[in-house]
Order: sequence, then C-alpha cells, then structure tokens
Amino acid sequence: MADSKKPRAPFAPWDRRELPGLFSVEESARRVGAYKWCELKLFEALGGWIATVPELDVKMRLGAHCYKHAWHAELWHKRLPELREMNPDRLTVAPNEHMVRFIEALTEPEAPELTIEKLVGVYRVFIPHFISAYTFHLNNTSDITDAPTMRSLRFVLQDEFEDWRDGEMLIQSLIETPSEVDRATNHQASLEKILLAAGGITGSGTIGFNTPEHEGALI
Amino acid sequence: MRKFLPVEDLARDERFNQITMNDRMADQRTAITTDSRPSRAANRIVPSRADASDAARGLMHGIFVGEIQALEGAGRTCWDFTTGSEAPFELKLDMARQCWDEARHVEISCKLSDWMGSEIGEYAENTVLFQAACSNDPVLRLAGVNRALEGLAIDVFTTMKEFGEVAGDQYLEFAEDWMLADEVTHVKMGSDWLRKITENDPERRKKALDFQSVVDKLFSYGGTRSESQESPIGLARRFRELAGFDDQEIDVIADLSLAALEERKAAVLEAQAALN
Repeated sequence: MADSKKPRAPFAPWDRRELPGLFSVEESARRVGAYKWCELKLFEALGGWIATVPELDVKMRLGAHCYKHAWHAELWHKRLPELREMNPDRLTVAPNEHMVRFIEALTEPEAPELTIEKLVGVYRVFIPHFISAYTFHLNNTSDITDAPTMRSLRFVLQDEFEDWRDGEMLIQSLIETPSEVDRATNHQASLEKILLAAGGITGSGTIGFNTPEHEGALI
Repeated sequence: MRKFLPVEDLARDERFNQITMNDRMADQRTAITTDSRPSRAANRIVPSRADASDAARGLMHGIFVGEIQALEGAGRTCWDFTTGSEAPFELKLDMARQCWDEARHVEISCKLSDWMGSEIGEYAENTVLFQAACSNDPVLRLAGVNRALEGLAIDVFTTMKEFGEVAGDQYLEFAEDWMLADEVTHVKMGSDWLRKITENDPERRKKALDFQSVVDKLFSYGGTRSESQESPIGLARRFRELAGFDDQEIDVIADLSLAALEERKAAVLEAQAALN
C-alpha cells in the first residue's frame, strides 16, 4: 500500500471534470422549473388518456410512463429550492405561451380511435424534445457545481430513452395502412410547428441556438 | 381531452362486456340463489368447494377488470383536477405512482388468468369501481376508491392468497402476495390524504367518509365479503390495520357486511318459500 502521508492531487489523472459551466444558478433554476412544468403536463395527460385508449397493452404502458414522468417532475421540484428558489411554484411555469398552446394541442385527442395521434404527440414530438433539452443541459453545465442536476438528468434521460423506444414500437405496431402513416406524420408536423415557435422545452435557446420567434409559422 | 370522463366512455376492445351494478342487481341468477347444496353452506373460496376452480377464475377476472378501472381512475385523478388549486402536487404524484402499480396488477392479472385457464372477456365487467372514481371532489375519490374499493381489494387478495396457499398453488400465492403489498400502500395513501386534506374541514371529511360508507355498503351487497365463512371473501383485519384503518372503522365494515349477509340469507329463504 502507498504511503498514506504522501500528498495526492485533488483530481485523479482520469478525472477530467471542469469547473466552468454554461449556466448560472438562476438560468439552471429557470430551466429546471420549465422541466418540471413540462413533465407535470405530460404525466397529467398520460394519466388522463389511460381511460380513453382501448388497446390493453397501450393502456398499461401509459400507466407505467405516467409514473415515470411524475417522478421526473418530483425530482425537479426538489431541485428548485437547492437552486435558491424557495417557492418552487414561482418557476414551475411554461417557458412561453407557445408551449402552453403546444400542451393544448397535444392533449386535444380524446376519442378511442385516436391512439396514434396520442402516442405520436408524446413519443415522436414531446419526448424527443425532452431528450434534446436534457442532453444539452447535461453536456453544458458545470461538472462540479451542478453535479446534483447532472445526476438527476442521467436518471431522467435513461427513462426518456426507454419510454421513447416503447412508444415508438407501439406506434409502429398500430400503423397498418398508408393513410395511417399520413395521420401520424401530419399530426407530428402540426405539433412540431408549435414547438418550433416555442423554441423547445425551455424556450428559445433550449439546445443552444437562440431560435428567433417564427412569426406566422403557426398559422 | 375532457375533464371528467363518464363511465360509459371507458375505452375497451371488443372482448369486454360491460355491465353496471344495476344490471348485476337485476340479474336473478346472481342476486338471489336458490342453490341449497351442502357444498355452498360455506361460501368462502376454498379448494374443497365443488365449484372452486370456476369461482376462483371468476374472481380473478373480476380482479383483472377492477385493476383496469383502478388504473383508469388513478389516471383520471392526475388529469381531472388542476394541480395546486384543486389537488396538491404530491397527491397527484401518489396517483401517478398508483397508475404504475395498477398497470402492473393488470399485467399480473393477465398472467394469472392465463395460468388459471380463463380468457379476457370470459366474464362480464362491472364498471362500479370507475363510477366511484368519477366524483368531482378528489377527497371523495380517495375515500371511495382508495379506502373502500382498495380496502376490498385487500380482502380479496388475502382470500386469493390463502386459496393459493391451501391449494398448493405457489404461483397464485406469490402473485397475490405482491399485489396485496401494493394495495396496503394504496389504502394508506387514501387514509393519509383524507386526514391531511380535511384536517380543518370536518364537513368535507364527513362527506368523504359517508361516501366511503356508501361504497362499502355497495360492495357488501349480498354478504359477498364478511368475516363469516358463508361469504366468499373474508375481511382482512390485519392488513387493513397496516393500511391505516382503526379498530372501530374495521368493526363498522364487519357489521355492515354481516348485516348484508343476513339480508341475503333472508331473501334466499323468501325466494325458496315462494318456489315451494
């Protein structure tokens, strides 16, 4: 065994973590607040849809995923006070009005024959945007100062990837005709246009590009 | 998507046949039996009963559709109420957790039904559980579903677990025991939230407990569940205690159930006398 009194570097040679990060405490809190709001809206929608889908396997999958997104919302809720936001509800808001409109459009389908639209909105639009936002945050925040957020991001991303795969497989299994392909892609496109205006999960700059407001793009 | 989905709009595939409690109560085959064979003197589901296999399969199918509705009900509570002003964020987190648990129970029930030799849709689906989950007050939902119906689930799973144990069916016993653990958690959730939300609102608490009593009575119909061996399903006192019921509350349910059983026996005697 090595001499226990011998000085060692605080960072081992293989530890390449860096101190600087892209986000201030305030910006990290703002993003986390938006994550919580979006995850909350998603788990509420998944819960509501369970009774409206006739496909038994989809029904059960939505139940499992509902909890996962509720847990994500809880993680972000608990992280907010650690980022100096003692009133978590203050930052639990949509990044902009376009995101509010996106949620309204996402949750519009209700009829039992609209399972494809419900799943497309979640698994081909919303969750891929979550993956982008979380990955950007994970790759750009300070490895050292924001380590607690990074730990949560890794857990959450693992869920998002698994849920995306589950959802995509369900969608592929439900689409049986060319017209259903059109239904899926048309619905995806209409939702993507709203998210384009929103700029992503946390608004403009979600993944580093300061996307300008595309006025008129939604009409 | 609307807030508050009516029970008739529950989405099902073509295998399911839904009936309401009214349908069930109006069905003479189930409302009053004139079967006086000795084997039915003790109705508890035990392997020695001549119709034990079919009774267990029927009960398992009832559990299966009940789990689907419990899943749907918990999901609707996530959606129907505005977070914060109408339902606390933490309550919704519990309901989401319950969604996952109930989804697993549906999966377990499918596997067990297959194991026991029955098929989806072989028996009718009574939609009363979801009806109890349609209240516009989340506290009433917790009282009606989490405390009354999930409380019944504790009784049912305990009975089925014991059935598996006596029958030497470790597969059944194992699965029922796991579901029982979840149900105790769900009932406790209901008990805890009921006390917390109505802490300073005795009128709302009374209303919720009254609603729970109505649901308990509904499910004691015909003495289906009681401490008597004449009831198919027993009353699981120990697990109910773990779930937050006090002795007095359990006694009330026990008395209610026994009274329902006596009513049923009187009705059977009356029907038999009319036939003679």
